[in-house]
Amino acid sequence: MQAGVSMGLLDFQTAMGRLVRAPDGGDPLRSLHLDERERASLAALKQSSGYQFTVGVQRSWCVGRATNAGYLTLSILDPEVRSRVLDEWTNSGGGTSSFFAAETEAFLDFIAQRLPDPSHELTVCRLEQATLRANEGASTFTQRDPALVDAPECMLRRGRHAGVVMFYGEPDRILNALVNHERLLPVSDAAVVTMLFGPGLEGLCRPASQLEIALLARVGSGVELSVLMREGWRLEEIKAMLRAGFVEYAEG
Amino acid sequence: MIQPLGIGFPYIAKLPAELYRSGLLDFVEVTGETVCRQRANGRSVAIEIIPEQLDTARATCAGLPIVVHGVELSIGSAQGWNSAYLDMLDEFQATWPFLWHSEHLGFQTIPGEDGRTLEVGVPLPVPPTREAVDLIGQRSEEICRRYGVPFLLENPAYYIADLPADPEIGDDMGLIDAIMKRSGCYLLLDLHNVYCNSLNHRRDPYSILDSAPLDRVAEIHVAGGASHDGYWMDGHNGPVPERVWELLEYTLARAPNVGGVVYEVLDEVAGSLGVEAIGKELERAGEIWSQCRQG
Repeated sequence: MQAGVSMGLLDFQTAMGRLVRAPDGGDPLRSLHLDERERASLAALKQSSGYQFTVGVQRSWCVGRATNAGYLTLSILDPEVRSRVLDEWTNSGGGTSSFFAAETEAFLDFIAQRLPDPSHELTVCRLEQATLRANEGASTFTQRDPALVDAPECMLRRGRHAGVVMFYGEPDRILNALVNHERLLPVSDAAVVTMLFGPGLEGLCRPASQLEIALLARVGSGVELSVLMREGWRLEEIKAMLRAGFVEYAEG
Repeated sequence: MIQPLGIGFPYIAKLPAELYRSGLLDFVEVTGETVCRQRANGRSVAIEIIPEQLDTARATCAGLPIVVHGVELSIGSAQGWNSAYLDMLDEFQATWPFLWHSEHLGFQTIPGEDGRTLEVGVPLPVPPTREAVDLIGQRSEEICRRYGVPFLLENPAYYIADLPADPEIGDDMGLIDAIMKRSGCYLLLDLHNVYCNSLNHRRDPYSILDSAPLDRVAEIHVAGGASHDGYWMDGHNGPVPERVWELLEYTLARAPNVGGVVYEVLDEVAGSLGVEAIGKELERAGEIWSQCRQG
């Protein structure tokens, strides 16, 4: 132990945490109130093998968490792309959360921003994300009284755990091909299959009808039932979507 | 006062429930976060218990006494500890009371430049300074009052040697001793961490133990590890090294208030390690416990 260098605890921890999180990212000592002796002490710490090993452990844990979090999507990416995405994610401070769902949601968003749109890879990324959300919602999903929707002033919105994923071809065929690294036809709008994900649905997903896709888009962040009825939407369709968790009561 | 229990093992959801009913265990160490999810709530984050997972854990533990071993508190973070963890623990205790609970002596969060809390990704050691003693001592006191059961701090394995230090505190065990004296909390003595530190920093493990407040040891951890890049890592990924069993015998003969010995295994490797291999380590721990407690 290095006696005699009495650095403030907050400054020391901030410097050390930054050094370990992103060792090559800018000046880790910026905005900290350190004198020359303290800066020299931290510079020496950064040269130590113990520090280097700690960074290696941190990086390994973060890559491990991220790999678990985006398992399916990562498995279908080209190895070079996969490695680059993981590097960028951990370099930006990703992979540090030990809670799986939080890590997955954030990481899949990160990957999605780096994939061509549209692409089969992006479809799989959205599929993994939608499955996670629906699964999360399923653990607390309860069927609300469908009679509530009979009140015209009832407000509805898109379900927080609902998802829409577009496949550019037959879903099973695309997934099998991607997992087995087989060639796929280029993305085309000619054969789009849209899958709906909902926490109240057995198996969490099923193909969507055009009507459901349109209704989900219409409900958006909130709309009153009376408006939907005036527009000609059918009450039974709306109730079915409530039961699946595609749509939910806005006050809940 | 620590109730003597015997041999414990972590609750690991993927292991068969039969392990917890095998007679090899006297208690279970539950990490509350393993039955929880994190949920963003504006700028703050809540840790929510998942009722179904808690029910499964209770059913698996089959009436065995439990102690709690936390990982998310970050008790040594100067910018503030994780109050969401304590909120979760309040609910956990109300639902499933525990005999004592513990946390790692370290920090894993720092302040971000936008005011948010950043996770470091690994727990880091707290420097042995008076400021750290005051901060963690005061927090430990608060925790003791809040839960009304013994609170334990675990000595960490660390790889960075040259931390700032106040001479009157000295080293990691000096830090622990000062916090125990200040707060009245207990020590969860991780003997594999002592073993790691002795190898990695070329220290005699027995002199480390002799400098520890052994009268405050309430629980002991034993575990396995592995060698990487010239360091012995606290991996919790295998059988307990022979030297650690020797340290256990040495410690039990000198620590009069130990309530239990836990064999730690990482969730990710528990399945591949297998119930039989785990059972052997538990049997060995049980034999040493019985010998030392009878002697």
